[in-house]
Amino acid sequence: MEDKLSKEEVLHVAELARISLTEEEIKKYQVELKKLLNEVEKINDVEGYDDDILIANWDSNAELRKDVAGDMLNPKEVLENAPRHAGNYIEVPVVISDGEGA
Amino acid sequence: MRYLNKSITEIHELLKSKAIKPIDLVEEAFENIENNKEYNAYITLNKEEAIKQAKELESKEVDNLLFGLPIAIKDNIVTKGLLTTCGSHMLDNFIPIYDATVVEKIKANNMIIVGKTNMDQFGMGSSSRTSYFGSPKNPWDKTKIAGGSSGGSATTISCRDVLFALGSDTGGSIRQPSSYTGIVGMKPTYGRISRYGLVAFASSLDQIGPLTKNVYENAVILNALVGKDEKDLTSARKEEEDFTRLIGEDIKGMKIAVPNYLMSDIVSPEIITKIKETIKMLEENGAKVDYVDVKYLDKAMTLYQIIAMGEASSNLARFDGIRYGHSKENPKDIQELYFETRAEGFGEEVKRRIMVGSYLLSGENAKIYYDKALSIRDDMKKEFINVFKNYDLIIGPTTTTTAYNLDDPMDDPLKSFMDDVLVIPANMAGLPGLNLPVGFDKSHMPIGMHIIGNAFEEAKIYKLASFIEKELNLDLNPFGGENNE
Repeated sequence: MEDKLSKEEVLHVAELARISLTEEEIKKYQVELKKLLNEVEKINDVEGYDDDILIANWDSNAELRKDVAGDMLNPKEVLENAPRHAGNYIEVPVVISDGEGA
Repeated sequence: MRYLNKSITEIHELLKSKAIKPIDLVEEAFENIENNKEYNAYITLNKEEAIKQAKELESKEVDNLLFGLPIAIKDNIVTKGLLTTCGSHMLDNFIPIYDATVVEKIKANNMIIVGKTNMDQFGMGSSSRTSYFGSPKNPWDKTKIAGGSSGGSATTISCRDVLFALGSDTGGSIRQPSSYTGIVGMKPTYGRISRYGLVAFASSLDQIGPLTKNVYENAVILNALVGKDEKDLTSARKEEEDFTRLIGEDIKGMKIAVPNYLMSDIVSPEIITKIKETIKMLEENGAKVDYVDVKYLDKAMTLYQIIAMGEASSNLARFDGIRYGHSKENPKDIQELYFETRAEGFGEEVKRRIMVGSYLLSGENAKIYYDKALSIRDDMKKEFINVFKNYDLIIGPTTTTTAYNLDDPMDDPLKSFMDDVLVIPANMAGLPGLNLPVGFDKSHMPIGMHIIGNAFEEAKIYKLASFIEKELNLDLNPFGGENNE
């Protein structure tokens, strides 16, 4: 048997990543994603390490900035990059429609 | 008359004595860029603004070494009012409304931004071939890759278009292309330079750094880039230092470790030979070099895949077609907007990585993979700390091969990770690492040495690198005839 993910498995990860795929892409990713996942599995062969974790190489104490108002972004400039906007608002398509519930 | 092939100190004197003006340098830079455009180093040029800025500088005092010098910026570092694409269709219409902290610093030093350099899409790739804007070509042989992801920044420096470029390095993306193109590239310690305004790929690994034609110029510009930034919590507060201060010092008595894994049979024999020659030269000059075992180095690629893909899947969730960037036309609902925007906007490599990353972080998998990777990463860092108890620096090759063909197949999803296998450990442990050209293979493609330092010990790296640079005195201009400084 060929070493690949099932179509359903590919569609599941595509759903998690919010990406739609064509039939052709699904076929391709069945093989390619499996290769990557096989590689990642190698982590289970590693032994002898302790339980401490290293989230990031950052050992300074959290130094928070003072809670004072600084320069703000200009809403007009911000909106210029938004694909759809009206007035001072960004437009989004329907989020909840009849019959689908929320 | 050409000036940009001179050293920065010479150029500085010329500017100071008013023998030349910044506009002369800017015009020369754009002439170079035009002459070398087949190498495809740039996505966007900033010509009009650069000329305007150069003219404005004429009335200002030449107050620092970097004053009036042209610089190129990788296209994942945001520049106010200047297109910033990350090499992707997803952002091919994105005009940032603020400057990254490094860009503010560059402007504060009165440097002049000439353009935004080509790169692998969102930094994902090792050959810059995942760019939406075509691949940069290697100046030593245009049928070969320039490496990646900072391939455009490496190419423009190698071509001698400008003196300085900025790149970013998540898993080798400054050092590996520097090795392939025969230039000096530094990934500083994690936290050394603010990442504010660097479009995030894997936040626990990403770091900005400089690419230059020689060691001294690299250290000079690093001086201008570092510092605590309240806009980046992970930036470190350190005492001010001059990174050039150890350059020129004797290396006698320096203790250097060479991890056995980095010299194993995963590396081409030609590269091993060149690194060994360099090691011999160091020993002859009084350095003490030992081969050591460093555990977990052979696991670095697996750790990187888990951590980088996981973090990328989270960071790239922001590209939703709502606030900026590419957006699906006339979506029927929000789901279609998300799914189709991302399907249209992202390239294949990006899709692959965020799908796997989403899987690795979903539900119980986060424990099985991500947490485990963080745990082994901690042990790897401890291994490095142990080495640095007894040694000043670690050296080895930067890459396993020299630059390969641009038309080599791209269908192996593991290849782009393999290309960075020797440089990833420095990202894992947050350590500074620099590529230094040390010779050429039999097709005259550059070979690079990787020098890793302990955290915040960049100055020591520059000390060793400048010593080797001076001893080898290589002609590193791909178009020939350079008198090295």
